[in-house]
Amino acid sequence: MSAEGEPPRGLRAWLDERLGLSALTALAREKTVPLHRHTAWYYLGGMTLFLFTVQVVTGILLLLYYRSSADEAFESVQFIMTRVPFGWLVRSIHSWSANLLVLVALVHMFSVFLLKAYRRPREVTWFTGVLLLFLMLGFGFSGYLLPWNTLAFFATQVGTEVAGAVPVVGRFLLRFLRGGDQVTGGTLTRFYGIHVAVLPALTTLVLAAHLLLVQRHGMSVPESQHAARTGRPARSVPFFPNFLVRDAIGWSAAVGVLAALAALFPWDLGEKADPFAPAPAGIRPEWYFAWMFQTLKWLPAHVLGVEGELVGLFAFGVGGLLLILVPLLDSGGRPGRSHALIVLGWVVVVYAAAATAAVYLNAASG
Amino acid sequence: MRAAAFLLAWATASAYAAEPKPAGTPPPPSACVACHGELDGEALEPVRRAQDDVHFQKGLSCHDCHGGNPAAPSDDMEAAHDERKGWVGKPSRLKVPLLCARCHADPELMKSYNPHTRVDQLAEYRTSVHGKRNAAGDDKAAVCVDCHGVHGIRPVSDPRSFAHPTRLAETCGRCHADSARMDAYGLAVTQYADYKASVHAAALYEKGDLGAPTCNDCHGSHGAVPPGGGSVANVCGSCHGREATLFRETEAKRGLDLDLCIRCVVCHENHAVRPPTADMLGVGPRSTCVTCHAEGDPEYRAAAGMGAAATRLRERLAEATDLLERAERAGMEVSADRFALREAQDQVVEARVLVHSFDEQRFMAAVAAGLEGAEKGVSAGQRAFRELRQRRIGLAVSLVVILAVIVGLALKARELDRGLPPGGVST
Repeated sequence: MSAEGEPPRGLRAWLDERLGLSALTALAREKTVPLHRHTAWYYLGGMTLFLFTVQVVTGILLLLYYRSSADEAFESVQFIMTRVPFGWLVRSIHSWSANLLVLVALVHMFSVFLLKAYRRPREVTWFTGVLLLFLMLGFGFSGYLLPWNTLAFFATQVGTEVAGAVPVVGRFLLRFLRGGDQVTGGTLTRFYGIHVAVLPALTTLVLAAHLLLVQRHGMSVPESQHAARTGRPARSVPFFPNFLVRDAIGWSAAVGVLAALAALFPWDLGEKADPFAPAPAGIRPEWYFAWMFQTLKWLPAHVLGVEGELVGLFAFGVGGLLLILVPLLDSGGRPGRSHALIVLGWVVVVYAAAATAAVYLNAASG
Repeated sequence: MRAAAFLLAWATASAYAAEPKPAGTPPPPSACVACHGELDGEALEPVRRAQDDVHFQKGLSCHDCHGGNPAAPSDDMEAAHDERKGWVGKPSRLKVPLLCARCHADPELMKSYNPHTRVDQLAEYRTSVHGKRNAAGDDKAAVCVDCHGVHGIRPVSDPRSFAHPTRLAETCGRCHADSARMDAYGLAVTQYADYKASVHAAALYEKGDLGAPTCNDCHGSHGAVPPGGGSVANVCGSCHGREATLFRETEAKRGLDLDLCIRCVVCHENHAVRPPTADMLGVGPRSTCVTCHAEGDPEYRAAAGMGAAATRLRERLAEATDLLERAERAGMEVSADRFALREAQDQVVEARVLVHSFDEQRFMAAVAAGLEGAEKGVSAGQRAFRELRQRRIGLAVSLVVILAVIVGLALKARELDRGLPPGGVST
């Protein structure tokens, strides 16, 4: 390594001249992470990114064997699980990691919400973060169908039916998602394309924007931890290597958890979907959609003369919009509005948890 | 109430015409209904039941069976019961078959109601024990109305008909389970109770399988006779075709008339056909083979070998199934192996059918094929458990390595922090 101030030499100099590596190393040297009682929440973003990377790597490995037709999809996943060396491990990690990814992303988002890290000038960072969450849910929805098993087939049928109930564009949405009027092999091919091409492309763009903005603005320090409030000088640790080493501890632990889950609870393959069979009992979507599923079940057939399902969809739409607009709703620094927003956030979380629990308790009792 | 509604409908229908009516339309009002509708008890019954009667629904009326004048004034019984108009009153039991056959044996007439309907019931009846006794003047022998009812006769396809498959055994049992009636003929009365305890009755009543046999499927309906010794295999073979074919093949191959000594009923009973169980084969206490074959006979040895082979196949299949089920519960993907095991399970069914060939070699070949599949299933199950153990060992090793990495990183983090001012860098 060249001494401080000296121009780099050799291969490094050659690369630096062409790629501007010194700017990156300078950034790495300069980047710091604030140190305070809420610093632990900063690890969640890195953890989400790590799990996403696991998804990309295991997803690419699965691509080598997966076949996206109704005739071969189930058999190809069965082949991966039984014949491909460590195929069971890769597939189970992909499935478990997908679920952990959504969980960690949700916790990351909620921590950012509670710490009000979305406030000026990080509004766009929040927008891109919420978009990333929606993209992750899209990955989950599209990936669920790919093994072409009974549960996924009928859950997709129900899920796309819900999309079909949207006023005006519902019919178009349903046909767009299914690639026809019914869930068929055409739907599978379409979901596969969405899962491995469309969503990764969009995610790359939004993720790049999200990460760039995080670098641009640095980590947000909660108001309660500002030097002016605590009376202590603001402190931080260098990102590289101090914070990154701690990140790596978390990532290593995540690898251990994923390995244990995959080895002890391999992801079930179920039975091959039979489009002509009656829907089996206990159809339910992935756990992160379960609260919406339960809400639609709880809603009466009609609310004030409007179809219950439409009311539910409208509420979800408004909810999604409000989630994106959180930074704008909280702008102006009015404490009353900010407090109301926090209360609303908690109400939504408690409701979603209760509705999710209801789905699984119903399944356990029925 | 229903009778009143029926009378009202009748009264509002078009005027009576003595000429033949088009098939399928209800008959016009008649003096019979007008008068009997006013009566009570037994005299009212024909009117009350007529609305459910397929004959009435197709346009026939009282006088079509009983004769008389339906156009007579409703208060003039003598005019209505006019013998010059063919009044016969209540037909004698001996004449009932002929009375019904006036229409039911007439192809031209019956075609006007249903082009596919049969018209051979009387001919069949004459060949039956019931028909022969009737012809001989026994007025207690069953006639049409005993099975189909009278006034209120429903089509056999109607589940409320006495002759519907789900009610037929009960209908036959009304006489055949009645010792007061059967004693005179020296017939046993256990058939109905035996049948109700049979595998056939379980299929019919518990599974709702209308294809399961009831009395008439073995004995015939109008031509009801007890199947003789020579026809039992044919009767059973009408449903159990593969077993019957195997039976006949062996019979032809060995130049034997097996029907005479080995009839289905020897092993399976007749009315009380029990579900066939595995221990019927072999030389155990519930074996049916030992009914005829004594120890020391070559057939006895063959039965012992076949029984032992079948038992081994079942045991290995049970082991394979158990292993694969446990492996599946442990999260292993063994659905393809479980699917393959079904072929071996099919061989159990095949071997059970092949018992009816009384051919040891054919039976053993099926058992061997099943055993091969069962052994593959056992191997697959054992392989799954070996892999499960390897996975857990691999996990344990991985976790140790990961833990070591975490400890190393934690030590590194502590070392890095030592290079910082206490509490981190002031910013």
